[in-house]
Amino acid sequence: MDTTKSAPEGESKRSTSSRREFLRLAGAGLAGAFAAAAFGCVSFDTRDGKKVKVWATSSGAIVHDPSRCVGCRRCETACTVRNDGKGSSYISRIKVSRNLNYGVAGVSAAYARADGQLGNFRVVGETCRQCSHPACGEACPVGAISADKTTGARVVDARKCVGCGACQRACPWGIATVDPETEKSTKCLLCGGDPNCVKNCPTGAIKFYPWAEAEALLFGTGGTADAVSGATA
Amino acid sequence: MSVTYGYTGKILRVNLTTGKISTDDTLKYKDFIGGEGMAMKIMWDEVPAGTHPFAPENKIVFGTGPFCGTGVPCSGRTNITSLLPSNPFHAVSSSHMGGYFSVELKYAGWDMIVVEGKSPKPVWLRIEDGKVALEDARWIWGKGIFDTMAMIGSQMGKEAQVAAIGQAGENQLNLSVIRTGASHSAGGHGGILGAKNLKAIGVKGTGSVKIAAKPEELMALDKYMMSLIGANNQHVVPKNPQPWAEYTSPSSRWTAKKGLYWGAANPPVETGECYPEDMQSVGLRTYKAVVDLGPVAEKYTVRMGGCAHCPIRCHSQVKIPQLERYGMDPYVANTCMGFYSPFGVMINGTPDLPGQEPGEQSMIAKGLGAKLADDYGMWCNYGQIGRDVLYAHKHGIFKKVLPAEEYASIPWDMLEKGDPAFLVDFYDRVANKKGELWHIADGSYYLAKRWNFGEDYWSDYKYKLWSKLGFPVHHSNEASGQVGALISCFSNRDAQNHSHMNFIAAGLPIDMLKDIAAEEWGSRDAIDDVKNYKPMTAAKAKFVKWSLSRSLLHNSLTLCNWMWPMTTSPLKERKYRGDTGLEAQFYTLVTGIPKSKEDLDLDAERAFTLFRALTVRAMGTADMRKNHDQTTEWVVTAEKGKDGKDIAQFTPGTDRMTQDDMEIGRTMVYKEFGWDEKTGSPTRARLEALGLSDVAQELSSKGLLPA
Repeated sequence: MDTTKSAPEGESKRSTSSRREFLRLAGAGLAGAFAAAAFGCVSFDTRDGKKVKVWATSSGAIVHDPSRCVGCRRCETACTVRNDGKGSSYISRIKVSRNLNYGVAGVSAAYARADGQLGNFRVVGETCRQCSHPACGEACPVGAISADKTTGARVVDARKCVGCGACQRACPWGIATVDPETEKSTKCLLCGGDPNCVKNCPTGAIKFYPWAEAEALLFGTGGTADAVSGATA
Repeated sequence: MSVTYGYTGKILRVNLTTGKISTDDTLKYKDFIGGEGMAMKIMWDEVPAGTHPFAPENKIVFGTGPFCGTGVPCSGRTNITSLLPSNPFHAVSSSHMGGYFSVELKYAGWDMIVVEGKSPKPVWLRIEDGKVALEDARWIWGKGIFDTMAMIGSQMGKEAQVAAIGQAGENQLNLSVIRTGASHSAGGHGGILGAKNLKAIGVKGTGSVKIAAKPEELMALDKYMMSLIGANNQHVVPKNPQPWAEYTSPSSRWTAKKGLYWGAANPPVETGECYPEDMQSVGLRTYKAVVDLGPVAEKYTVRMGGCAHCPIRCHSQVKIPQLERYGMDPYVANTCMGFYSPFGVMINGTPDLPGQEPGEQSMIAKGLGAKLADDYGMWCNYGQIGRDVLYAHKHGIFKKVLPAEEYASIPWDMLEKGDPAFLVDFYDRVANKKGELWHIADGSYYLAKRWNFGEDYWSDYKYKLWSKLGFPVHHSNEASGQVGALISCFSNRDAQNHSHMNFIAAGLPIDMLKDIAAEEWGSRDAIDDVKNYKPMTAAKAKFVKWSLSRSLLHNSLTLCNWMWPMTTSPLKERKYRGDTGLEAQFYTLVTGIPKSKEDLDLDAERAFTLFRALTVRAMGTADMRKNHDQTTEWVVTAEKGKDGKDIAQFTPGTDRMTQDDMEIGRTMVYKEFGWDEKTGSPTRARLEALGLSDVAQELSSKGLLPA
């Protein structure tokens, strides 16, 4: 399977829990309204007068494979050169640098056997899940984060962003990051559907998967864990 | 401050004596490009001749270049320049390390760090963006480098990159390193940090390196460059036959093939066919573990690692559970000399034990030695340390110079029978400066004096010493005859030059290489068939000058000279041509300062000429030909064939040179640089033409300009 292509619109392999949940909450009568919400993020009133916010599912998400990653961090500059016109690791929307030496958990007395280049060499990159209910978007007080009309990626509108950092604090994965130089939030925008980090990975450790597959890879399938609810609120 | 591109615009200056931390302007040094070039200027201006490397007055410069942090392929190296303790004249020299330190420094907002003075107590330097402080290091003084890094990481956060010295540096051994990351060492300058009471530098940056060009312009150039890149050392043909390859070369580091795996990855990763146009397998091409550690290493290999923003991964990262028998963690990483040098200390080899796979014991010894040397922070003088052990052992010198009690306490039986555990004892004694044995880390020049080595130490090919200044071969006469030989004559330590090596070992047929040589250096006779060398030519001199300048250029930009320049490519449709104008194209886009290939080569020549002037000043003589540029005797002596007869120079089967031809070569190279053809010293005219009038003035006042 060619996993590097984005899933065509409307061809997600299975309907997502977000949609199911929405339909359950809103009732079948709002099915027509759902179509209107296929792109972007829309709020509705339920029959009993409650507000519900609907996010169109992203076309896909980027997944990083720690067994293939060589820690070169070309993904990070591929990201920031394309999207910010500068090289940076802090604001890269794929996060490898921060885990490079000591893994996600950081320094420990057992560092020599723990993840990271100073341990067992395992390099764990973290990517934006393009969550069904993105905590970043939910937290943004000015509505600067919405689903991109083409890709469904949760993107920051820099004109609206006030750099308050609510998204950065809300994201459970620490992906959204306010650029200290511009005071604007940065988060993965999927580069219009052709992510530059994926193209520039020299070992094929980063892949762009249709959302349902990405979700399964990031959270696993089966068991009791609901991948979608595992992602965010 | 106005926006700068490529450069951050700021140099961090730290005076350890006074504790003063200040900022300097990078761009006032921009004629010297960055890294090594700028450091040469700072050393010229600020460190007087006669300063001892370990004196507070000496300075040490950690340099990045405008490319660090931008993602230009292979731009992650850090250049370190200072007086070199192992050099008899303490002449200025550079050491370099890969890893991620330079990039983090740039993201913190700094192009360079200039450290001077001496702290009254052990300290480490903490850099978090613009916040810089000297911190108490008493709690990490005495620790190995791995623990030091972790302990600083625990203070600064896991993102921090650390450069540190181990016990060897603290004890001011001439042969000690500054190390960063899992396995990246800069050899020769560790003792300077030790003398300054500076244990480590930790850096963390949330900023960026800005690019002058539009993103798509840089991305397009990057894509083009990536189409030209080969494997490690810019080898552009594979070692093994591949469906796509017209040529193969047994010595190529393009070692990937179908069915060859990183066996200890989970799940194992197949290196595969690696089609040149497949950008998603570039990082799999170079599988060095099975070269450096042997085929046995396949199942122990976790992955290949390397440096920031480099798609070519030349550092083997292996898990060798057998290391636990020596009280070590099983994970070890390194490349080339990092494995070979400690193994060289095992002068009788390390025969496999019953039940071991072929080569298993040597893999264990290499892994164990690499781990010990990297933790203590020991340097090897480019593999010389093992040959020094060999000489001293073979000539009964240890018995003579070591006190009887010390001699008796050394487990020589382990060395004799090839037990790698000898290395545990050896590195402890040397790095911790115990007894007399540690003087093995004085470096060849001082060691030979102290232990009274015979003339055969220098003249016997077996010990591979290139110069009486105390450094060994490093891609010298065996690397394109006079070209490599002359390149090795201009440095103050092993030559560390791959500009020529990458080209001649690219793996392409010699006729094609000669065609490319003609395009680059004016004549096909810039190179010869291997071991079938012809007398010196003007084109060879041009190739030498180009190699020396490009190496300095790369150490200034900074780019890895173990990959750059891109003289060849793996592309049949380009007739395997690379592009030697790429550095200038990147420079122009990254910095916004337009430079042609010729402009940058001239900048590099300026920096190299300044380096030459520094050596003249350090040695106090303008006669470089006589006092600096000579080789040891074996280089210019005919070697014996299997029949015991001399193989005449410049006939097939030998790479030995003649004294007369080498002198002609020196003259030609001096001429290429516009230096005095008699002495090899820069002339006033050339210095002034390069904008180095102040240098000419000082040399003149000291009587060091050629007549």
